[in-house]
Amino acid sequence: MTRLLSNALALTKRLFKLIFSFFHTIGEIVDFFLDCLKYSIIEKFYTNIFLKQFIKIGFNSLPVVGLTSIFTGMVLALQSYTGFSRFSAESAIPNVVVLSITRELAPVLAGLMVAGRSGAAIAAEIGTMKVTEQIDALKTLSTNPFNYLIIPRILAGVISLPLLVIIGDIIGVMGGYLICVNLLNFNPTVYLQNTYNFVQFIDVFSGLVKAAVFGFLITFMGCYHGFNAKGGAQGVGQSTTYSVVSSSILILLMNYIITSFFFKL
Amino acid sequence: MRNKKISVKNIYKSFENKVVLNNLSLDIYESESLSIIGESGSGKSILTRCIVGLLNYDNGSINFENLTNINALNDREKMNYMSKFGILFQNSALLDSLNIKENLKFASKQDSFTKILSEVGLPHSVLEKYPSELSVGMQKRVGLARAILKRPEVLILDEPTTGLDPIIARQINLLIKSLVRKKKITTITVTHDMESVYEFADYVAFLKNGIIEWYGKAKKINQSKNSSLTNFIKGIN
Repeated sequence: MTRLLSNALALTKRLFKLIFSFFHTIGEIVDFFLDCLKYSIIEKFYTNIFLKQFIKIGFNSLPVVGLTSIFTGMVLALQSYTGFSRFSAESAIPNVVVLSITRELAPVLAGLMVAGRSGAAIAAEIGTMKVTEQIDALKTLSTNPFNYLIIPRILAGVISLPLLVIIGDIIGVMGGYLICVNLLNFNPTVYLQNTYNFVQFIDVFSGLVKAAVFGFLITFMGCYHGFNAKGGAQGVGQSTTYSVVSSSILILLMNYIITSFFFKL
Repeated sequence: MRNKKISVKNIYKSFENKVVLNNLSLDIYESESLSIIGESGSGKSILTRCIVGLLNYDNGSINFENLTNINALNDREKMNYMSKFGILFQNSALLDSLNIKENLKFASKQDSFTKILSEVGLPHSVLEKYPSELSVGMQKRVGLARAILKRPEVLILDEPTTGLDPIIARQINLLIKSLVRKKKITTITVTHDMESVYEFADYVAFLKNGIIEWYGKAKKINQSKNSSLTNFIKGIN
């Protein structure tokens, strides 16, 4: 009986510890966000760092986002054809492809790809700087690490992700076009005409809003986990993992929230 | 007449129930070179990080000339306060994404670094190189150049000879000695290396378990009767 009671107590203690640690992390994230906000308003802006990060996060992610988009568009066309041909609705394929790509697949897949590529790189770079005292060195050299490291990366993420998604939209639609025209014998003009007539501003816009939010989440989580890395190489590795996992989960969560917001409009 | 530069008064610092600095008090005087020695985990680096303002202490106060209790400074004041220090970090902490010239530009906006490079014994050609292309000894020299380039009021050297072979360590010690003596900067050195202490320390503070066990003139360190200190000097745990 005593053993059972002590086990229950230990379990409760662990549970409370877990809950406390969860809220502690939330508090730290909010604190980090407020610091970002504070320093982005009142302090110096490093344009050259921003441009470097814009190239790293945006331009250098083009191949991976392009490949993801084109194959997604191609698969989508094939799968839609399988379904729609069963009730002779093949003409709806261009509509399904463009709607799925612009509203959903391009922003989410681009987000996940960039989270794996750039989010991890940001966490690893800042984490290494943290554990090798480079961030402390910046502080003592009258350079605010938020201005120098964090703000340019977040801004580069928020701006570059929508641009990547616009390109992903075009490549994704072209992937569907390639399959439909070359494999399924669609008329190219009719396919493009259908796509153009069907797509609305809100479809593209909602995708771009998602992309901007995802860009923020990826860079913010990368910076946060990197900035809070502890220990040596193991700590940096852990911060990289946390960054990718947390930003991926948040992307999927925010995707639902933004989708339901636009659904009500 | 010794002028007090930094005054550490009864500070406490702990990490998750582990007390690292325990009611520690220490005065650091202008233009003097103080070496803080002690075993790993004795609190040496934590103490210097608290002095610089990189870490907040839990209790007590650290005063710098007329500034009282640096824990209470706001962000901007703390940044100004930190700019009074030039620090040579244990691993040099050069920004590895920037070349040496760009690293030095953080400390000074000047275009020519020839003079400072010759002072620390480096060729001009290192300016275009990246930290990863330099040896550990050269990185330490660049770190030292960056630390003194900003004309600090206090120079902090965190384990300046750690990771170096005895010959390079001796060179670095001699270099620090000449710079400290020439520039008359208040210097705090955290070290395990007794050679550094003998070479350029005026005073020594020996830390054990977050407490100063011995403080005195460097010249008199070998006459100390403190068993922990004598064991430390002899390398006995």
